[in-house]
Amino acid sequence: MPADQEKFYQREVILADRDLVEQGAEEILENAQVADVALLVVGDPFGATTHTDFILRATERNIPYKVIHNASIMNAIGCCGLQLYNFGETVSIVFWTDNWRPESFYDKIAANRERQMHTLCLLDIKVKEQSIENLLRGKKVYEPPRYMTVNQAAQQLLEIIENRRSKDQSLALTENTLCVGVARVGADDQKIEAATLSAMANVDLGGPLHSLIIVGKVHPLEIDMLKLFTKNKEDIAKYAEEA
Amino acid sequence: MFLFPALQVSPATGTVGFGSGLHGWAFTLKQFAEMYSSKLGIDQETLMKKLWGDSFYNVETKKWDNTDAGGGKRAFCQFILDPVLKVLSTTMEGTKEDAHQLIEKMGVKLTGDDKDLIGKPLMKVAMRKWLPAGDAMLQMITMYLPSPVTSQKYRIEFLYEGPNDDEIAVSMKSCNPKGPVMMYVSKMVPTSDKGRFYAFGRVFSGTIATGQKCRIMGPNYVPGKKEDLYEESVQRTVSLMGHYFEPIEDVPCGNIVGLVGVDQYLVKTGTITTFKDAHIMKMMKFSVSPIVSVAVECKNPSDLPKLVEGLKILAKSDPMVQCCIEESGEHIIAGAGELHLEICLKDLEEDHASIPLKKSDPVVSYRETVAENSDRTCSSKSPNKHNRLFMTASPMPETLPDVIEMGEIYPKQDAEERASLLVEEFGFDINDARKIWCFGPDGAGANMLVDVARDVECLSEIKDSVVAGFQWATKKGVLCEENMRGVRFNIHDVTFHADAIHRGGSQIIPTTRRCLYACQLTAHPRLMEPVYLVEMQCPTTAFEGIRDVLNWRRGKIEEKEQLTSILQVASGFLPVNESFGFTFAVRAATGGRAFPQCVFDHWQILDNDPLVPATASGVVVGQIRKRKGLQEEVPAINNFLDKL
Repeated sequence: MPADQEKFYQREVILADRDLVEQGAEEILENAQVADVALLVVGDPFGATTHTDFILRATERNIPYKVIHNASIMNAIGCCGLQLYNFGETVSIVFWTDNWRPESFYDKIAANRERQMHTLCLLDIKVKEQSIENLLRGKKVYEPPRYMTVNQAAQQLLEIIENRRSKDQSLALTENTLCVGVARVGADDQKIEAATLSAMANVDLGGPLHSLIIVGKVHPLEIDMLKLFTKNKEDIAKYAEEA
Repeated sequence: MFLFPALQVSPATGTVGFGSGLHGWAFTLKQFAEMYSSKLGIDQETLMKKLWGDSFYNVETKKWDNTDAGGGKRAFCQFILDPVLKVLSTTMEGTKEDAHQLIEKMGVKLTGDDKDLIGKPLMKVAMRKWLPAGDAMLQMITMYLPSPVTSQKYRIEFLYEGPNDDEIAVSMKSCNPKGPVMMYVSKMVPTSDKGRFYAFGRVFSGTIATGQKCRIMGPNYVPGKKEDLYEESVQRTVSLMGHYFEPIEDVPCGNIVGLVGVDQYLVKTGTITTFKDAHIMKMMKFSVSPIVSVAVECKNPSDLPKLVEGLKILAKSDPMVQCCIEESGEHIIAGAGELHLEICLKDLEEDHASIPLKKSDPVVSYRETVAENSDRTCSSKSPNKHNRLFMTASPMPETLPDVIEMGEIYPKQDAEERASLLVEEFGFDINDARKIWCFGPDGAGANMLVDVARDVECLSEIKDSVVAGFQWATKKGVLCEENMRGVRFNIHDVTFHADAIHRGGSQIIPTTRRCLYACQLTAHPRLMEPVYLVEMQCPTTAFEGIRDVLNWRRGKIEEKEQLTSILQVASGFLPVNESFGFTFAVRAATGGRAFPQCVFDHWQILDNDPLVPATASGVVVGQIRKRKGLQEEVPAINNFLDKL
């Protein structure tokens, strides 16, 4: 929370929402010409949400910069016992709307699975998002924040599988594919749950933030680890073999 | 059209009627042929032909001829015009006795109070009883208009938006009263209950009945979606007979009906059906579009609810008027011209809202277009800098916008059919013509978005966002947020973030708009103004006055034709913006001897640079921007163009 941070740093902290970071970048850099500006981010600066554009623009203006790396879900996900070496391309799963239902993330998961790799799926967060109507009217009215849960993500994946099946496509993942759901990784109340995709649609991991892993080929050691995070150990062993 | 090889009407075949709508009488040659047939000993059909054109009859010799050389008189005058004129003049000017004698001779009986009438009222009664307009119309309708059973077979494919062979289309084609219900509501007719309307229209299939539960679909309904769709019961079905409404239990297809209880679900027109998968009937097209608008507000702020209600009623009762609320909160009424708006405002003030109103000066809509190809490929980056769009703008071939607006090229058209039309008629590249993403604004206007990029990854997924940005930009162009017209935008290349989350609508929609604005600014943007076609009949002596008034208002005479030695008809063009007070000026200049009629004709490019504030277009742009509460200068290109 900014208030806590201000106390800790003994400095004023300006809350930089997406609008400020994306549209107010010039202003931030302008100030950086004369004073030190620290941009505090969640996770690693070069992690999932990239801030590379800042670096490029700062370099253009000869503004020196320094990066302090941080833990990110990209590495902390190792907590579930799957080996980081065996992860393929990371994907995001987005909230579907009535008329926007992209399936491209499925194809990437499928491609990872074909190469027997795990897929880390980052789940959509909608904070300070405008509805399309408000965006078109130029109104700065924001929707209430939403965070995707692992069961919502599993649900969307199951729908895609159903879609592809009805088109007679060969399926790279099914209802029985093993997944791991994680919540609030790194916090005291972090939760990890291993289950099949269809079972994952019904688990409750509590509040945000959630991430989902679609498991690829598993090493025996990985199976042992996953068994720690399930009530149904036989299932894990059985479906891990099938993969 | 190929269905009617002879789409020509002629009095001799009975397809043309003569009459006076005001006085309520009319006739066709057939009716007079019936009267004279036995007397002249000629069968009706032959006689009808003899009663029109160069056909002359000599009363003394009782001979017909093709010329008047034999002393004959033109048959139409002899047998029809003279008797009609005689009745008119005798009833209007003759003595009461003469008139009554003549009327009796015609076989017309005057009753009760009618016998006491003289002058014009007598003439009306006599003519109406002798040649009732209703009879002539009904006869023409029954003889020459195909019955619904015949006509729906070939009309349905032009009227129905859905596939030609779905259940409802088949049922409509066979005009099957036992099929599912399908009805098109074409008009709202006010009831005695203020603010409520009969939904008036034709039943195309099935039988619509009182109490029936129906799907009510507005013009924006899309099959499978819930937008613009209501499921409600028909409270009552009525038969509309002139001024009277007769309750009726049910109405089978082929007939016209009024419905009670569905008016609040429709703005102006709509489709009513019981068939779940039905598409809608095509919207009626108007040959005029609303181009002049005024802002209204109530003098007394507490009257606002009445104004809003009144505007709703106005929108329903006039088929063409458009009412909307601007972002500034202003209520805008748009109509065909100064006069049309004047009538609408009068109705609103006196009947629909019944409150005192404040009205702005009338305002003309403009269109934004481009005159040349963009001088470079414009690129814009999304706010997160991970998505880039590369596009250009170019003007459409000259007549293409008209063709799109007339509906010969339209969004829902079969893609191949449209592509071949564009290639053959407008010189499109076949690959471009097949890759039209959409039309806009509102999905149907005369601007298009073409994917000229070959082989672009993930395009289908971001397509909706790009289309939304395109609709936005074409609805509100960069110059002064007027609609665009006649602009073709080309997508040359795109780069997107690998992950769906970083290329959602909030990233792509504003970026598309910025990129399109950059394209517009680099392609010689121009304004288009609406132009009226003006027609007027006037005495030759008044012509000079008319020409001066037109010239003074940037208009010009295009054609003039001498009708008689003293009367001529002139037509010309007049920018709508210059038309306010035009009628008055013409009357003043001609001593009230000329009456101009104005209809919207076309959009005309103002050939000067709207980006230079001193030019005529620049002034207009400045005024519009000021009115809309925008910053006065057109935003500079670097607001929209991002360098790589």
